[in-house]
Amino acid sequence: MQSKYKVGLLRLNLLLAALQPALLAPASASLTEALLLWLAAGWLAVSALLVEFSHRRPALVPWQLLPSLLLTALLLTAPERFPLWLWAWAGLVMLPQPAWMSALNLLLAGLGWGWLARGMAPEQTLLSGALLAGLLLLGLLRSRDLAPLRGAARRRVHLVPGMRLWPRAQLARDLARERARSQRDGVHGELVLLRTGRRRFWPQAQRLCELTRRFEHCYRLDGRTLAALLLSRDAEQAARRRADLLGRLGPVQRLRATPLAQVVSVSDECRALEQQPGSTRFPKEGGHG
Amino acid sequence: MGDTVHARIHALLYALAALLLLGQAGWHYLAGEYTRILLPAMLTPVVLTAALMRLGQPETARLSAYLVLVTGYLLVAMELPGPSSLAPFWLGLPPMLTLLLLPLGSAMLLNLTLTPIWLLLADAWLTPDLVLGYLALVVVAGLAPWEILHQRALLKATDPMDEECDAMRRSALHDRLQSECERAELLGQRLAVLLIHLPQLEMAREQFGSGAHRALLSALCDTVASCSRDHDLLGREGDADFWLVLPDTSESGALLVRQRLELALQRRVLLDTGQLEARLSVCCLRPEEEPASFVRRLQARAPHAA
Repeated sequence: MQSKYKVGLLRLNLLLAALQPALLAPASASLTEALLLWLAAGWLAVSALLVEFSHRRPALVPWQLLPSLLLTALLLTAPERFPLWLWAWAGLVMLPQPAWMSALNLLLAGLGWGWLARGMAPEQTLLSGALLAGLLLLGLLRSRDLAPLRGAARRRVHLVPGMRLWPRAQLARDLARERARSQRDGVHGELVLLRTGRRRFWPQAQRLCELTRRFEHCYRLDGRTLAALLLSRDAEQAARRRADLLGRLGPVQRLRATPLAQVVSVSDECRALEQQPGSTRFPKEGGHG
Repeated sequence: MGDTVHARIHALLYALAALLLLGQAGWHYLAGEYTRILLPAMLTPVVLTAALMRLGQPETARLSAYLVLVTGYLLVAMELPGPSSLAPFWLGLPPMLTLLLLPLGSAMLLNLTLTPIWLLLADAWLTPDLVLGYLALVVVAGLAPWEILHQRALLKATDPMDEECDAMRRSALHDRLQSECERAELLGQRLAVLLIHLPQLEMAREQFGSGAHRALLSALCDTVASCSRDHDLLGREGDADFWLVLPDTSESGALLVRQRLELALQRRVLLDTGQLEARLSVCCLRPEEEPASFVRRLQARAPHAA
């Protein structure tokens, strides 16, 4: 509620930001400059459409790289029109990004500064360089703030706030624990893998989380494969639940269920799902192997 | 740890800025521009003070950011009305500096209120194009800290682990406790919760700083991890209150865990706070009890009162 509100504000700000280069574009001296400004406006507008409060669509590196390249190109093509935008580099390095991208951004900022410094007196060059370096360092510190948190946390976070869907790395850890636990409790646990279409993935993921019990975890293995750890009293109930689940989940492309005791590793199971001849494979029909 | 490192790097940067100011004053002296020496020379001790203040308490550290900001503003304000063609170039510095030094809300407010002043100072170069360019910089650059806030809020909403220690967050704890209650009911198992209170925690931060605070937390989490099974869940209910959820455990089993944990905790001796003190008590899920009422019962039962 509060977070949704904030995302709405962020979207508004992104759209407002997209408006600025769009207003600047008509007064451009050259076609390249106008094109670059329109591109910047487009990037901001599309970002506004994509922004949401979840890990469903992590930013792709080329997408993150685009503003840096655009800013470099703008500073190189129109240094006399936007000299003040050189300082925007401090904002770009502030964004959460991998280390090599920070290095690239610093390099591009240096390039932009060198280009602008051609028309400056030597003392101004030195002063502006030192100040820019200081600001870049301040920006880098801000981005490093978040980095250690991201690295370790990325492997254990829910993908969507409030939804019991976990990343693949979490399954490997849960698998060993659930196997030991179900063995000791004498319940029948099984790992169910589901292959869906890319378009239907998120609705079906949501449905899967609703249809399973609260203590049965669901996982996103890749863009079209879901997994769930189902616990039932015995194999018979497990088969009934699976059939019920399939009926209510809607069509899936492939399905594979393996008792927890027989699961060797997650990647083995994924490979087996890929290679299995039929669309569904249950433990009883095919046996193990 | 991260905070102190940041404070030191900031202080170092401010000190370097003071050096730069001194250099600028020296340069003006050598160039014979005696009227321009005064400002950088006067601002040097201000920035040095800011560097020292950055190392102090959080309140003084915040004040140091304002000192540096004012210094930056004054320098740019002196530069803008001059005859140099660099005025539009320097115009971009104040809004970026504000965004880097202040939290997003106050930075945006300050940037927008100061916009007319900056633009008027540079009025020799004032064109609609420059105004738009300046506004674009302010709005677009504001997105960067916003993105950081967004990512942090998202992490907080989705990461089940506490920021300070190796225990679950309160929301995740309640979620898992509820699901464990359901599982226990379905399988006809018992469920017990061990309530742990650390009376030294608040005092540790006040007297010995955040290092001792963190050491205490990690000592507790390590000890609990070594004394409990793989599927026992440790969560942080309050600042100094932890719940250890013990699935499939009867009351006598939980009392045994409590005894073992008490012994192990007593053996932990920390550098600042000495022997680790903890108050433990056991609370069990009653047959056919609703998860919500169990949680209420747990919350009502502060371990230090038990």
